[in-house]
Amino acid sequence: MKADAQALKGHLDTLLLASLENGAQHGYAVKEALRAGSRAQFDLPTGTIYPALRRLEAAGLVRGTWSQAGGRRRRTYELTPAGRQRLSRDRAAWQDFAAAVSAILEPAP
Amino acid sequence: MSSALISDYVAGLRRRLPAAVADEAADGLIETYEHRLAAGAGEQDAAQAAVAEFGDLALVLGEFIRQAPGRRAARMLLATGPLAGACWAAALLTSRAWAWPVPAAARLCAGAILLLAVAALAVAATSRRSYRRTTITAAASPVILLLDAAAVTAVLLAAPALTWALGIAVAASLTRMAFTAWSLSRTGSAMAAAAGHPFGRMRHHG
Repeated sequence: MKADAQALKGHLDTLLLASLENGAQHGYAVKEALRAGSRAQFDLPTGTIYPALRRLEAAGLVRGTWSQAGGRRRRTYELTPAGRQRLSRDRAAWQDFAAAVSAILEPAP
Repeated sequence: MSSALISDYVAGLRRRLPAAVADEAADGLIETYEHRLAAGAGEQDAAQAAVAEFGDLALVLGEFIRQAPGRRAARMLLATGPLAGACWAAALLTSRAWAWPVPAAARLCAGAILLLAVAALAVAATSRRSYRRTTITAAASPVILLLDAAAVTAVLLAAPALTWALGIAVAASLTRMAFTAWSLSRTGSAMAAAAGHPFGRMRHHG
């Protein structure tokens, strides 16, 4: 079952930040990391990843740099210190939320 | 890159988006296409699959416009406008500002400039199909900043006494000036990054 795109939107920023946690990536690689990491449940149109990365850059959470690849300009993104802080905060909030939901949904012993 | 479908898509991106933004998206589409070719698809099939995977052109353009830094900054400025306006309305009414020694022409001029700046921000904030419209914020934000500064200066020079209401209105304006300056620096650098190109080429975008 694929995740609903609308439901995913609320978590997209955190997922994008998480996909950059282990190093700089360009848009296509970020999209592939999301797809592979979610076992193909998060399969967003690749073209919608780029505006989201630009928005995160404008917010100071990621930093973009240009390079050349295959004769084309390629923009690669990495987390800023503010981006790492946000990711850490979002991750903790999500773990608390998920633990609370699981505690309610799991059948009583 | 030889598929007409991919070339047309890239041309659509370049027509409607700033140069650097279009370059980045075009790189993503072409890489998607090349992955399909490498997986063994023919040119036409690879192009169709790449466009399907990348997203319809209208959808992708719409996302770039919806998340454009100018559009988001305009929305934040407009959202704080009513609060600042209410503070100033209460302060000016309770201070009988109509009796202050401020020329009528200056009052009218400030009002007209405020209306124009708000209208410009509204155009940027509601843009759905034009990226260029979102960049109007870069011109309207400094005007809002100057109007806040003019209002604070007018209070300091013309108000006979500083009341609580005036103090709150001045504090609201100073806070908004700091926010506008911060927003302008963020939006300005994001817009410069979007328009930037290593070869200095100028492209038109709608």
